[in-house]
Amino acid sequence: MYEFTYIKPGSLPEASDLLTRHEGAKPLSGGMTLIPTLKQRLSQPSHLVDLTGLAALKGIALVEGRLEIGAATRHVEVATSTVVRESLPALAALAAGIGDPQVRNRGTMGGSVANNDPAADYPSAVLGLAATVHTDRRSIAADDFFQGMFATALEPGELITRISFPLPERAAYAKFPHPASGYAMTGVFIAVTGGVVRVAVTGAGPGVFRWTDAEAALQASFSPAAIAGLEVDATDLNADIHAPAAYRANLVRVMALRALETLQTSSKGQ
Amino acid sequence: MTFSRLEDRRLVTGAGRYVSDWNFPGQLHAAFLRADRAHARIVSINTEAARAMPGVRVVLTAADTAAAGFRSLPCAAPIPGKGGSALLKPERPVLAGDVVRFVGECVACVVAETAIAAQDAVEAIIVEYEDLPVAMTAEAAVAPGAPQLHPGIPGNVAIEFETGDPAAVAAAFEGAAHVVSLDLHNQRVVGSPMEPKGCLARHDASTGDYFVHVCTQGTTGMRAQLVATTGVPDEHVHIVAEDVGGGFGLRFNAYPEYSAIMLAARLAGAPVRWVASRSEVFLSDEHARGVTSRGEVALDAEGHFLAFRFNFLNDMGAYIAPTGPVVAVLSIRACLAGVYRVPAAVANVRLALTNSVPMAAYRGAGRPVISYMIERLVDQAATDLGIDPVELRRRNLIPTAAMPWKTVNGLGYDSGDFPAVLDKALGLSDWNGFSARRAEAGARGMLRGIGIATFIESTGGGASPDEVEARFGDHGEITIHAVSHSHGQSHETAYAELLASVLGLPRERFRLRNGDPGVRLAGNPTGGSRTMHGVGSALRVLADDIIAKGRELAARALEAASADIEFDNGVFRIAGTDRSVSLDALIERHAAGPERVFDTRSSARTGSTFPNGCHVAEVEIDPATGVVSIERYTAVDDAGNLLNPTIVAGQMHGAIVQGAGQVLGEHAIYDLETGQFLTGSFMDYAMPKAVNVHGLTIADHPVPTPTNLLGVKGVGEAGVTGSLPALMNAILAALRPVGVTHFDMPATPARVWGAVGAARAGDGRRFAHA
Ligand SMILES: Cc1cc2nc3c(=O)[nH]c(=O)nc-3n(C[C@H](O)[C@H](O)[C@H](O)COP(=O)(O)OP(=O)(O)OC[C@H]3O[C@@H](n4cnc5c(N)ncnc54)[C@H](O)[C@@H]3O)c2cc1C
Repeated sequence: MYEFTYIKPGSLPEASDLLTRHEGAKPLSGGMTLIPTLKQRLSQPSHLVDLTGLAALKGIALVEGRLEIGAATRHVEVATSTVVRESLPALAALAAGIGDPQVRNRGTMGGSVANNDPAADYPSAVLGLAATVHTDRRSIAADDFFQGMFATALEPGELITRISFPLPERAAYAKFPHPASGYAMTGVFIAVTGGVVRVAVTGAGPGVFRWTDAEAALQASFSPAAIAGLEVDATDLNADIHAPAAYRANLVRVMALRALETLQTSSKGQ
Repeated sequence: MTFSRLEDRRLVTGAGRYVSDWNFPGQLHAAFLRADRAHARIVSINTEAARAMPGVRVVLTAADTAAAGFRSLPCAAPIPGKGGSALLKPERPVLAGDVVRFVGECVACVVAETAIAAQDAVEAIIVEYEDLPVAMTAEAAVAPGAPQLHPGIPGNVAIEFETGDPAAVAAAFEGAAHVVSLDLHNQRVVGSPMEPKGCLARHDASTGDYFVHVCTQGTTGMRAQLVATTGVPDEHVHIVAEDVGGGFGLRFNAYPEYSAIMLAARLAGAPVRWVASRSEVFLSDEHARGVTSRGEVALDAEGHFLAFRFNFLNDMGAYIAPTGPVVAVLSIRACLAGVYRVPAAVANVRLALTNSVPMAAYRGAGRPVISYMIERLVDQAATDLGIDPVELRRRNLIPTAAMPWKTVNGLGYDSGDFPAVLDKALGLSDWNGFSARRAEAGARGMLRGIGIATFIESTGGGASPDEVEARFGDHGEITIHAVSHSHGQSHETAYAELLASVLGLPRERFRLRNGDPGVRLAGNPTGGSRTMHGVGSALRVLADDIIAKGRELAARALEAASADIEFDNGVFRIAGTDRSVSLDALIERHAAGPERVFDTRSSARTGSTFPNGCHVAEVEIDPATGVVSIERYTAVDDAGNLLNPTIVAGQMHGAIVQGAGQVLGEHAIYDLETGQFLTGSFMDYAMPKAVNVHGLTIADHPVPTPTNLLGVKGVGEAGVTGSLPALMNAILAALRPVGVTHFDMPATPARVWGAVGAARAGDGRRFAHA
């Protein structure tokens, strides 16, 4: 770790101000990603602005038919919240499958979405549900927010404050955990919201993306058979020491089928 | 709350003391600059800026270690090479001066007032390199035209061993009805003990003594290697260690960092501590396995083995670690023919140098290499000849009545009952019920396979006798000292229970101290599953010696001849009378006196023992994802007499899962072109997880060995030796029906899925290494 100045602001405007004033400042949420990179000296912020004391970034609530989750809400809170479990069980199940208990007890939704790790779970839900990312400056639609590997629409110093999810008729997430890291080797989030099917894929490519062929097929016929024969183009998928792109392409279809299977056994999905 | 092991309360409540728990006034912190490339000439090292940084006290480079008279780290071959050839020893400096030969090799050491200041200064050191071509695999290193790593070692082969009779084998192959061959790769793995390696050294300038706090498997080996490297006389090097958080073989040798820290402590005039980060553990802990092999078996028309022929090419890394050659050859020599009655066998073992971290002992230490080779070859023969794998084994097992057995290369097994071990495993695993389970799995779309391995091990004989010492405290406690260090093997409990049962005292009376610099004993580090037969035997002698002392004191107290005194369950009694005195009472009366009459040092010398077993694994493979799930695992082992079955079961569980780790995913990967290490964290290096293993059944079939006082054989590593072949045979059994004919570890989901797909497209060998 290199030296930095740690600040824990008491209000959102103060946090925003600190982050705009200091070019080298970085927000610190659960620290599950940021602190390891600091320890390995891969990043050298001048200031760490701790978000965990900001009331404006906390809380889970149903507001006018949408599920609103504060950016500093920890994975364990999403996983165990009665509100989430009843209104969007697929999201609670996704959160329960992130990392391990230690990670879920510290890591936050805002940190995960801002980081946009290509193998993170939450981005698939945000994109699959066409959620809205609210920041201290504006609102960003999910389709505009994610911009490839670790890249997002966030401007320097811009803070995610909360994420607003529409409530789907049905939704399910199926994840194939990476054998070493436990992140998503491939994860597929399928949602039907207002009659529109979206299929978001994480882990397989350089960033979360929509599998539009499957969306079209499921829109026509919402059944496993509709996508069982679809081929996934492996050209732009990740290939590394763990698996070739063809394997991830296969997982996209297999995990999509498994997500559909869970939908068939429960009306709202999980 | 009660704990079944004496060490548990301390360990689970965080009261254990590891290297990073030691702190001394004025202590400084060290950090190492490591090579960021696999092979390069060092043109220059500039440490000026680093030395000028705040808090920096010492900066060491090769020039400093040379000035201190440091020598190459030691290495040796345990037996002569082919035709009496000697090991070509690569010079291994503590800090690289001329050439770096693997990513992670130490180039400089900085000592500063804080660990952060030391790390900052490391980053300020400027090294100018001139890159050299790399050889990243053993095959690449021995190929014509490969870059030569060390002067004096052309072709990068440090030694070639041969064991067995090549002429007899050639003759047997000539007359054979069938010949079956198999190429296998036993991939490189990282040991990953929980405690990262570390070292804290203190130097006493007035006496010249060094106190070196390190992670160690035993002080004798550690001290000898530090003495050989630093040139500090043996009597001035004191190894201190209490709890050690895992070793698996890679806490045996003295890493170069330890010698550097000793020098740094002397030059700084203050204690210096260094504890590796997990990244440094991945980059610079010894790695293991990394063996490319070919096995051939000759059979007669009835499926009797006529001969085995093996060739092993070992990737030794950039230098020869002290335990490297031992691991490469001794187990192969000792277990050359496995549990089989085979009249001829030969093995050739070549040690190749590559631009990677040195290879050394890792749980099993060569037995998982030979057992994996033999047992996969036997299954291949069964497949090729259309003989049931159990039947083929049964036809060739050494019969119980033939014990003791002289093996083909002149060594021997003292005892064993291989057919009974096999039968017990078949029964417990419900081998015969497998086809129904396979059919049921098939109906769910899953591929199910069952695999078997009948194997034998050879435990470490030990380089010296094992000494133990009992010291009786003033408050009744009895402290046992021994060299063989506990780093997860439950010695504290096992020793106490052994002594308690012989002496008739409660086990809580005994304490264990391993690395106490005040007590210098002869003995062997923990390794080769030898502690209970080595140290255990010495403890048995110790107990008898204590009883003998007690008997004399009892005779005096009871006014009788010592020959008339019996000892039973802690009480001395004049035979045939009710006049008695307890050992405890005698200890209370005499132990604390100035002569410390009960304090006793005893020793024993034992040779190797031959634990053996039959393991049966049953796996299910999801063809859609390639995920392998271990559904059942049955291990029947002959470890001789069991002193504490719970500890034995724990060792079996751990070792089986460690084997499962290598089978399912552990793989240390270097980039073949750049030599960078690609699996440098647990994000990329797949450790086995609890979800991977279900249904372990552990059973024993003890045949006590006559070669030691306790009849014990050793159990720490058998789980790995059995699980590599049993699991891979099960995986192959599951994959053969879809057309996979060959497959090398690791069975990661992507590789298994790829193999199924390739087999369906007509290529059954796509995931073979060679
Ligand atoms: C062992 C391990 C296993 C894991 N497994 C998984 C897994 O299976 N699936 C998965 O999805 N994730 C996994 N993670 C990641 C985990 O979910 C982290 O919580 C997440 O990546 C980051 O969240 P955080 O709150 O810890 O963010 P931090 O580490 O604090 O921050 C991450 C980044 O986001 C920025 N940031 C934080 N909050 C905001 C904000 N409100 N607005 C703008 N920028 C912000 C920070 O500056 C930083 O750059 C794992 C992590 C670990 C250590």
